[in-house]
Amino acid sequence: MTTTRRQFLTVMGGAAATVGSRLGTAPAFAQTTGPVKIGILAIRAGIAAPVGAAGLRGTEWWAERTNKAGGILGRQVQLVVEEESNPKDTVERYRKLVLQDKVEAVIGGISTGVTLALGPVAEDLATPWLSWDGTTQKGVEETMPNPKWAFKSVDNEVEAIVAGMLTPKYFKGIKTVAGIGNDYSYGHDCWESYQAVLKRYLPDVRFVLELFPKLGVTDFTSHIAAIQQAKPDLLMCSFWSGDATIIMKQAAAVGLFKTMKGVFTTAGGVHDSLKKEFTPEGLLLGYNTMYFADPKASPLLKQFVAEYKAKYNEYPPYECDHAYFNAESYKQAVEKAAKGSKQWPGKADVVKALEGIEVESLSGKRSWRADHVQECSFYQGMTTHKNSYDFVTIDPIEVVSTKQAMKPAGAKLFDWIKSWKI
Amino acid sequence: MKRWLGPALALVAILIVPLVAPPYQTLLMLPFMAYAVILLGLNLLFGYTGLLSFGHALFVGVGAYTGAFLTHRFGVRSLEAILLAAALLGALVAAPVGALCVRYVKIYFGMLTLAFGMVFYTFVLKFYALTGGDEGIPFARPLLLGRDLSAIPKTDYLNGPYYYYCVAVLVLATACMWRIVRSPFGLCLRTIRDNPLKAEALGISVPRYRWCAFVISAVYAALGGALLGPPTGNVDPTLAYWTHSGNLVFMTLLGGFTHFYGPVLGAFVFIYLQDFVMSLVPYWRLIFGGLLALIVIFAPTGLMGLIAPSR
Amino acid sequence: MILNVLLGGVFHASILFLVAAGLQVVFGVQRIFNLACGSFYALGAYVGVSAVAAYTSVGGPPWLFIVPLAVAGLLVGVVGVVVERGLLRFVYDRDETFQLLLTFALVLILEDVIRLTWGASPRSTSGLYLVYGQVRVLGATVPVYNLIVVAASLLIAVGLGWLLTRTAFGRIMRAAADNREMAAALGVDLRWLYVRVFTLGTALGTLGGALVIPATAAMSEMGIELIVEAFAVVVIGGLGSMRGAFVGALVVGILRAVAISVLPEIEMLLIYLIVIGVLVLRPRGLFGAVTA
Repeated sequence: MTTTRRQFLTVMGGAAATVGSRLGTAPAFAQTTGPVKIGILAIRAGIAAPVGAAGLRGTEWWAERTNKAGGILGRQVQLVVEEESNPKDTVERYRKLVLQDKVEAVIGGISTGVTLALGPVAEDLATPWLSWDGTTQKGVEETMPNPKWAFKSVDNEVEAIVAGMLTPKYFKGIKTVAGIGNDYSYGHDCWESYQAVLKRYLPDVRFVLELFPKLGVTDFTSHIAAIQQAKPDLLMCSFWSGDATIIMKQAAAVGLFKTMKGVFTTAGGVHDSLKKEFTPEGLLLGYNTMYFADPKASPLLKQFVAEYKAKYNEYPPYECDHAYFNAESYKQAVEKAAKGSKQWPGKADVVKALEGIEVESLSGKRSWRADHVQECSFYQGMTTHKNSYDFVTIDPIEVVSTKQAMKPAGAKLFDWIKSWKI
Repeated sequence: MKRWLGPALALVAILIVPLVAPPYQTLLMLPFMAYAVILLGLNLLFGYTGLLSFGHALFVGVGAYTGAFLTHRFGVRSLEAILLAAALLGALVAAPVGALCVRYVKIYFGMLTLAFGMVFYTFVLKFYALTGGDEGIPFARPLLLGRDLSAIPKTDYLNGPYYYYCVAVLVLATACMWRIVRSPFGLCLRTIRDNPLKAEALGISVPRYRWCAFVISAVYAALGGALLGPPTGNVDPTLAYWTHSGNLVFMTLLGGFTHFYGPVLGAFVFIYLQDFVMSLVPYWRLIFGGLLALIVIFAPTGLMGLIAPSR
Repeated sequence: MILNVLLGGVFHASILFLVAAGLQVVFGVQRIFNLACGSFYALGAYVGVSAVAAYTSVGGPPWLFIVPLAVAGLLVGVVGVVVERGLLRFVYDRDETFQLLLTFALVLILEDVIRLTWGASPRSTSGLYLVYGQVRVLGATVPVYNLIVVAASLLIAVGLGWLLTRTAFGRIMRAAADNREMAAALGVDLRWLYVRVFTLGTALGTLGGALVIPATAAMSEMGIELIVEAFAVVVIGGLGSMRGAFVGALVVGILRAVAISVLPEIEMLLIYLIVIGVLVLRPRGLFGAVTA
């Protein structure tokens, strides 16, 4: 910071003669004693608020555990939570965390509209930023291919790609497909890539309708009527919040899935609201990166699900896993960068250590790719009523790694899909 | 003499903020100055002409998107060119919109502006290919007075040259607005506000004056909108949503619409208070809603009305 | 199959009508454009969910759930009394701008009150929507519950018409809407009238929210989304007119449904453009009073 101040002085010319005293205020090295502050950005209002809450709960669970086990390099973790809202305000909150609260790292960010703006800010402020669920993608194109400080979530379209791979396996004779998704980047990206993948497996498939209701719409009767009009063999839907529950219920009311198959790439985000009463068996349902009832669950996941249920009377969705992975990978990167000493490493060393690191997250092993994108596995499967809950679960369960379903660093998505050997 | 003392002191304070305040507090001054410009314009319409626009975020959006388009799509990076284009486009959009809106007053005027605001919002949200939809468009770091400052870190750029550039724009905008409201034109607007029939009888063309005020206020909103872009580095449709328009009116009322500097004070207090409350509790909307209700009921002339009741 | 689209539109219109009617009653008599009508709608939805949950937990028969739902929706309308007495009565003599802003303050307050009370997760009445089953009409499958909501909305429309034209309260309301000074001079207690009118307006919104909730889920943003649609309804129909709310709701509901099946890209844009067209060509709307 000190050198940059000096550059600023040259720019400002003579007007800055009195600034000298301020040069000392920006510490060149981080404080290395006392609690370590980690900034958290969580959505608290609006349609994505449940996702924000899950991320925050996952982070808090991690922080409690970590602190009980002695913190990071002996320093207790202190979370500084700010709200993720629109891009303008969130960029301000981000700057506040780094410049004012002097956090060691910022974790969080869900909406791509917001994180697209956060990426460059994170680079400017030279502090590690690990994103829960946000990318710096413009559509399916990466805008920051070689970031230094920004660590991004899985590409937006991975769930749709996985669903596209699994569709021909579980549904036979699909000729026409309709799509519905929210009118924002995630909804559009998922639909585009789902189509591209499905076309590879089923070259003759036709896409007969696409609907993009505004985020936050709570009445889909008209959309469902339009889908009935189009009479597709299969409906693909990328809703992931309350809207997934609503469309499922309103679809059941008119018996939509009696006449067509259904793919819900992400509705597992609100899985415990998909009650058996209105969610049929035999839909392809995606749980993103964590399936709470995974029969192969690690003891860590089992403990987490039990404690989450006890505390909130809900079963945890995937965002807890993203959040846990981010925080845990940060912790292990700090320890790795310290190389066995108790000396707190510099931020640049932590970033180096994060690249390629693999840690045990709730859902199993997860890692950071060298280009700062998450690697993990996606859980999707066919809905079933054969369980002890009042909502659906999946059986059989398909686990697909991002190594298969995410475009490699630097690749163009649609060229990459075209290059598959099927 | 005394009339100039307050604003002069405020200006000196604004000038030394980057030298004494922590960097984050300085950064918050940037949206403050942008909003101050927007609200000076809004208050020409609200405070001086008596027309409440509930869709002014439309013009903020026009200004912000103009800057984003120019820097990102056309490679025009000069902030002077951006401001000029924003002002022109703001006026260009406001001319027909205003011509339709000023035929009505009070609630109908408010509703018509709200409807136009929502048309613009829906348009930028829906037309992905052109506007980037919810992702918006990046706003690249602009050149200031033709100087390329991309070598210095963003925070220093914003808190240094960009900061003082905003101060200059704010001072110019304030001076212009001061001239406007003190001019015969401004006097006519106030006559129209207080008694449109009398104004008509005096030979003032009421719709034309209202239209002029509308266009000027839109130009101010577009200028301010363009200034909001660079600190965020991205513009998006929420800038044009109706609740943003509501917040603009909130700020104006908070500072005091009966006073020339009221909206400026309102912007300042709103931004720093929001920053403070947001970090304190997650339920800042509740607190701000309560605050707005208190102002409306007990202090309709806003903070300025409490500080300087006589005017 | 066209029937599906139309029925979807009519269902949406029924809910819109209730919220817009609340807006109209209040605007007609008190001259306040209530931005918070969407928030009342959201409040009704959340209270409805809680009422049904409580009803289910004490073991009430599922097919009667609509009773506690509607009762709760109506009862929560008493927040109207609180809002009117606690806030609005202070600003009756002010410019309508301030009244509008006060309702904007309410929008902000209620959004957080809902989050504080019910949390951020969407809430729903699980599968009760389907207890009444479906009927087949001309090849289309229609949930019976949708028909109940449409019928309830129609019934309320008729009831409101009766209230306004056939009762003393309705005559007083219309008199005050025409000329409140004159009404006051003739002995109408405006204070008491305003309390009742605002509560009626609130209850229509909360009832709308409660009735819609079995078919959907309560989310904290639902109010802010709905207000712009309700706004379109009253502008198209004409501010303050009950017939206007009815026709406006049908126009918006059906146009939206048709646009979604024919040209989904322009769905909401189309509605705003119609709003502007109406405001420019016929600012009093289809049924608005000439004096507006």
